[in-house]
Amino acid sequence: MSLEAKIKSGEFVVLGEFEPPKGADFSRFLNNAKQIKGRVDALVVPEMGNAVMKASSLGSCAFLKQHGIETVFQVCCRDRNRLALQADILAAGALDILNIMAVPGEEITHGDHPQARLVNDLDLIQLLETIQRLKIGKDLAGVELSGSPKFCVGSTVNAGAFGGVRDIEMENLNKMIDLGVQFLITTPVFDLHRFQQFIKHIDTSKGAVIPTVLLLKSAGMARYIDRNIKSISIPKEMIRDIQKAPDKLKQCIQLTAEIIGHLKEMGMAGVMISTVGWEDKLPQVMDAAKL
Amino acid sequence: MIVAEKKPIEEIIDQVKDFQKLLIAGCNECVTVCEAGGKKEVGILASALRMYFMNEGKKVEIDEVTLERQCDHEYLEEIRDRIDKYDAVLSLACGVGVQFMAEKYFSTPVFPGVNTCFMGAAEERGVWSERCQACGQCILGETAGICPISRCAKRLLNGPCGGSTKGKCEISKDLDCAWQLILDRLKELDRLDDYEKIMPIKDWSTERAGGPRKVVREDVRL
Repeated sequence: MSLEAKIKSGEFVVLGEFEPPKGADFSRFLNNAKQIKGRVDALVVPEMGNAVMKASSLGSCAFLKQHGIETVFQVCCRDRNRLALQADILAAGALDILNIMAVPGEEITHGDHPQARLVNDLDLIQLLETIQRLKIGKDLAGVELSGSPKFCVGSTVNAGAFGGVRDIEMENLNKMIDLGVQFLITTPVFDLHRFQQFIKHIDTSKGAVIPTVLLLKSAGMARYIDRNIKSISIPKEMIRDIQKAPDKLKQCIQLTAEIIGHLKEMGMAGVMISTVGWEDKLPQVMDAAKL
Repeated sequence: MIVAEKKPIEEIIDQVKDFQKLLIAGCNECVTVCEAGGKKEVGILASALRMYFMNEGKKVEIDEVTLERQCDHEYLEEIRDRIDKYDAVLSLACGVGVQFMAEKYFSTPVFPGVNTCFMGAAEERGVWSERCQACGQCILGETAGICPISRCAKRLLNGPCGGSTKGKCEISKDLDCAWQLILDRLKELDRLDDYEKIMPIKDWSTERAGGPRKVVREDVRL
């Protein structure tokens, strides 16, 4: 069943985040993907996440497609102008990549090429508008296309937003849904209470909300995220449990599985499991979460 | 200087049509020199708006002022005692002045009366052209005093592209090829050997790529 069909059926969706390699050797990337082929509904392939240069999402999605794996192709405002974005989106359509996800892209200055020139020709809402327009058969210049791409469209939402920022996030979310967004992947969720406060403001019947569940690697990583990333809070008990555990990896996997379980109980549309470089651990996480 | 152009009167009317008391504020610096927002333009715009509103049967009070600079606290303070008299300010300063006005008088609506175009120079009377994009890392010393960032359509750093014909740029026959100008001047300066040097990939972090910029000078701060 395709991701789109799965979302429509209301069944619990499982996505895996799969960072493309920094290099032309895709063998490890493929091996990791093969391990979970058939167990996830699609692999989300980031477009240079954290502005770190890697192989492109489009190329990596096409590569995985050759091996029969469904993907979510990420298009990002940061590095491409309207010509390049439209060109890539058409190519993805022709390559039969079924899902597309628009993201704004993290700051270039936070990545590994801080001297690069920022593009941001289109913003996130305009990029979604562009996808919608291409889907109905016209480009941004109003020229009719010879064949239009068909995608299940997604984007991101900041689940850690609160106060005035949350109000703005909700406004954006409504705009995204009006522009044909069918699924929304959230920022990583650890604090379920905080997530519940957020999710009650969203009409989940309008779009599938898919929280990201991030596999922590250590108590240090958890502390760092909790202290430095405003949109993510990690409960102290979770950090303490990792610190105390004799087998840290096992504890981190267990913790991820528990969060997935709770999100499933909450009736979320699915989860995206992010392992940030530990893609080979994805089968273990899925085993623990009984997925 | 910062070069600006007057906005079309229709656009200005559309911005201010719902206000009854309007202050048109000019600036005595760059926009005066490029004849877009100085005292003379303030007067002309005020008359045009008065006529428009009179024809429409609307009673709109329009006052005029031209400040020495709108990008300076000191001069913007000159209108503090009367700013509350107005429903809105129509600023004919560049985008910097409009924003500084909006920051200073937070509860007064401020609208731009000009489009800020670029940093440039008057080539001749009535003709202004771009000379600088404020990239934050000046290379004019290596390019014979002619900037390829602001004057080459493709911002090329290592010589002209294939579209350069008879010293003109491919995007317009009226536009000089910046690299032709650079080569001509390097030749004049007997520095053509410099052209052989490969210019490194540019660091754009000092341009807007690195976010909004700020210069902090500890030696001159109070």
